[in-house]
Amino acid sequence: MSQDKPYFFQSFAIVVLSIAALIGFKQFLPEKIFTETAGTKNVVVDSLMLEAAEGAGNAPVEKDTLSNTKISFTATNGVKFPAETFEDYKGFQHLVAFYEKLLQLEKSQQGNVRIAYFGDSMTDGDMIVKDLRSSLQNRFGGEGVGFVNITSESAPSRSTLSHSFSGNWKTQSYLNVKNPRKPFGINGHVFFTKRDTVNPVWVKYKASKLSHLSSLNNATLFYGRSGNTHAKMQVIIGADTINKKLNAGSLLNTMPVSGGDVKSFKANFIAADSIPFYGFNFDDGRGVHVDNFSNRGNSGLPIATFNTNLMKAFNEKLGYDLIVLHYGTNVLNYGSLNYTWYEKKMSKVVAHLRECFPGVAILIISTADKSSKYGTEMKTDSAVVPLTLAQKRYAVQTESGYVNLYTLMGGNGSMVRWVEDVPAYANKDYTHFNFRGSKKISDLIYNQLNDGYEKYKALRGGKPLPKEPKRDSVFPVAKPVQVTKPILNKPAADSFKPAAQPVKKPLQPAAVKPVKPAIVPAKEIKPKELKPQPAQPVTAPVIKDTANAQ
Amino acid sequence: MQLTDLVPQITNENLREWFLYNAKEPMLFSTVKFLRLFIIFYAIYILIRGHFKARIFFTAAFSLYFYYLCSERYFVLLVFSSVVDYTLSYFLYRETRPIPRKIYLWFSVIVNLTFLGYFKYTGFILDSAHTLFGLDYSIGRVLLPVGISFYTFQSISYIIEIYRKEITPAKDYLDYLFFVSFFPQLVAGPIVRAKDFIPQIYAKLQLTKADVSNALFLIIGGLIKKTVISDYISLNFVDRVFDAPSSYTAFENLMAAYGYTIQIYCDFSGYSDMAIGIAMLLGFKLPTNFRTPYKSASITEFWRRWHISLSTWLKDFLYISVGGNRHGSFAGFLFPALFFFGLIVWGINFAPTSNIPLIISVTGLVVFTLTFILSKEREKTMFTNINLLTTMLLGGLWHGASLRFIIWGALHGIALSVHKIWLEFFPNKKEGKPGVLGSIWKVVAILLTFHFVAFCWIFFRAKDFANALELINNISTITFDPNQWQTIIMGYKNVFILMGIGYVWHFLPENFTNNLRQSFFHMPLVLKAAIFGLVMWLVYAAASAGPQPFIYFQF
Repeated sequence: MSQDKPYFFQSFAIVVLSIAALIGFKQFLPEKIFTETAGTKNVVVDSLMLEAAEGAGNAPVEKDTLSNTKISFTATNGVKFPAETFEDYKGFQHLVAFYEKLLQLEKSQQGNVRIAYFGDSMTDGDMIVKDLRSSLQNRFGGEGVGFVNITSESAPSRSTLSHSFSGNWKTQSYLNVKNPRKPFGINGHVFFTKRDTVNPVWVKYKASKLSHLSSLNNATLFYGRSGNTHAKMQVIIGADTINKKLNAGSLLNTMPVSGGDVKSFKANFIAADSIPFYGFNFDDGRGVHVDNFSNRGNSGLPIATFNTNLMKAFNEKLGYDLIVLHYGTNVLNYGSLNYTWYEKKMSKVVAHLRECFPGVAILIISTADKSSKYGTEMKTDSAVVPLTLAQKRYAVQTESGYVNLYTLMGGNGSMVRWVEDVPAYANKDYTHFNFRGSKKISDLIYNQLNDGYEKYKALRGGKPLPKEPKRDSVFPVAKPVQVTKPILNKPAADSFKPAAQPVKKPLQPAAVKPVKPAIVPAKEIKPKELKPQPAQPVTAPVIKDTANAQ
Repeated sequence: MQLTDLVPQITNENLREWFLYNAKEPMLFSTVKFLRLFIIFYAIYILIRGHFKARIFFTAAFSLYFYYLCSERYFVLLVFSSVVDYTLSYFLYRETRPIPRKIYLWFSVIVNLTFLGYFKYTGFILDSAHTLFGLDYSIGRVLLPVGISFYTFQSISYIIEIYRKEITPAKDYLDYLFFVSFFPQLVAGPIVRAKDFIPQIYAKLQLTKADVSNALFLIIGGLIKKTVISDYISLNFVDRVFDAPSSYTAFENLMAAYGYTIQIYCDFSGYSDMAIGIAMLLGFKLPTNFRTPYKSASITEFWRRWHISLSTWLKDFLYISVGGNRHGSFAGFLFPALFFFGLIVWGINFAPTSNIPLIISVTGLVVFTLTFILSKEREKTMFTNINLLTTMLLGGLWHGASLRFIIWGALHGIALSVHKIWLEFFPNKKEGKPGVLGSIWKVVAILLTFHFVAFCWIFFRAKDFANALELINNISTITFDPNQWQTIIMGYKNVFILMGIGYVWHFLPENFTNNLRQSFFHMPLVLKAAIFGLVMWLVYAAASAGPQPFIYFQF
């Protein structure tokens, strides 16, 4: 039969012809298939960012006026860090107030330090933040996981606390709601109970077994103003049930769950409609506490919509010393490599934060490395470096500290290495870290912070510590004056916010003097171009009263 | 890509890239690097096909070179172990006294298993010693030579078959090396048996039109399964969910389990098909390795359709060696005993925190015991089931040194025993057309088997035991929410389309596939080449697709 004839040459011919066909097909068939799928209605995207990015599409590329400059600082509190290059900018000078608080803690075990860590999916499930919190609490003391939302899409993945809630909560997020029914809380969310006559509306928290987090310390509910006068919170701790009437008279109200520390509790909310709920705080009032305000899909821009008065109320109760802004992942991949729009918008965000949290130190953490496919190979995305530069520029302009996570990770190609390492440090999306990688990232951030802290101690020398600073936890000693007074225009009670202590002039060395930034221009650049331009706060007078907002 | 990309200006760097080992670029059949080398190899192979010695020498040399490209200097190991095995088998074949024959056999088996054990299990044993006894030896990470599990098993089959007098040995060392190192199946199987392969070496080399057509058909299917379906869904969906199950919804967890089930089939069978196809282009017929295993209506049937070359190997050389269905042996009892002992200890350890582990371990033991206590032929069934469990436990361990694989093997072993006792009580009706009820039952049985297998794959895939439990726990919280499901499916459109294609393809009636193969056979040569070229483009375009960006849903 002809079919049994040897077919070797034909076989070879087919292979060769097919390669020719392949080369032919490549001429007119697409380079790649499975292009990224477009988002659907339920995919989290940051609507503010989309608008901003769209609007910025045709913005002219501005001349880079910073990269050749030398950045020098003026003394804060008698301490002056050496000048830095833009290339290696870290901005420790702008963290002096925070460092001083840490020093007090370390030297005299006095006071407490609170950090608000804002982030995106990188810090979802308390990743990175939990390691940073643990490093700080190991060294400076402090118990408790900090402020926790009422509901969270990432609750199941959170290992530092087990958190569950009923399905009948209505959540509004600053990510995609422009005009919330009531202002957003510090976590960028506001929660309402849905009208449900059958099922109770509840939340449940249980402490983990991790060190420093093994109790729900002084669990306290935070909620906002409403005309509702008959709402109740029914707290169930073990076999005990306690009913607590919720008084929603002030802009921000708190209600302790129990007298002290509990392992777990459930709270039912009864007749609580129209009350804006924000979350629960867990801290022991001493040492360092870090609140994780992570939001999948966040670019950082929505922070600009924070209600100033409400934030001041939060600050009064919780007393923030450092705000960390860890964003960027969601700003990559927008086609253009020009991030001027982001730089400007984020400068405004920082200015707004300084208005809301007078005197707070701010630390900007750049985007981490992220890889994309070029040809058939994964490489550092071309947007990473431009974005880190934009983030650095707005850090310099707004007098914030800066951590370049991209270079700390190892710079070009580092994400590929982190993914391919055995064991791996990052996930196969070449964007997010796993638990191991998050710990490493946290260590990188902690080490840089600590480096600044040690330098600060050396620069500061043995100057005496100020008197015992006021505690700014919610529980301790009643602060009747602050509670009854309207909080409007009143800065936080904190030794670093001298306006809060009107009687004593800030004589203590610890008090922070206004920091005048000075960016010394390189010879060929005109001073005018170099002048830092922090966005003007909306309500300037308020800011002016406080020490170092400008 | 232009013509110049395939035949570019040749620089030193090009040459190094083309012809030397590169740790970053594994040697796979789906790479351009392989295609380039294969074309050169195939041309020479065809030219010298008439000269037996030259052809054998050239192919063996190319196979060693191929192995060097896979795992660099370890090709020396392959040469060394083949010399040892060939020498021992040489003496074994000529020896008639029983005692020395046993010695040759055991010496060879031990040498092979020592290599395998050293490279594959050192880390695992040290880790276990560390956790169990607090011993802390560190010898650094032992790099696993690619394919060692496969060629070790192939060498063992050769020596045992000679011992059992089932084959005549290869005529000289070169022929033996050709068999052990044959590059199409060297690194990922199928595990070719000496009795199937050695005779082909000496037979007249034949390649018919039907062979070439079937070979191309297999390679095309393999390429699509492996590089388009499997690679894409693993990178863009399955891996992510398994990396952090709790970051995803219950539905995504469930889909990741289904996704992995089709992924591992496509990956493994796709690669096998390519190996069989390439071997066929050279005129060698390797055994079928997968016969659409998820169509199985029982777990026993599954193991006759899944990784057939491994399961028959295990049956012939491990199951029979420890006693088969006739008698028990020390080795046969040792592993199940160790396994259940470990399981109960684990249960007791966890008893203070949760009773569930203890309940699971006791249930496991009770169920397994019942499978032979309830049997009419209690003793025989006991031997069978114990030996079966040993086979599955060691078979599990063969896949990798980890507790997860042992659990996976144990689940399958126990399920096989359960199925045996089930058959004793409800025997299959012989012959005759199944009625409506019978057909419904068959569908239910297929679904049941499929889901059991998919469940076991979770342990196979998860990075550790806790990870597997996390995923299972998440799946258990699923609620019926079509809107949410639809949103997720739309979000991962490509992934779900490919998963769908994978499953539909798998469950296509056999006739349909046969017709397709027939139509391909009747196509003119040029059209075949065009289709093959088109598939190569598909592979290239799929490999160029960037990972799908992360999607966060909110509900």
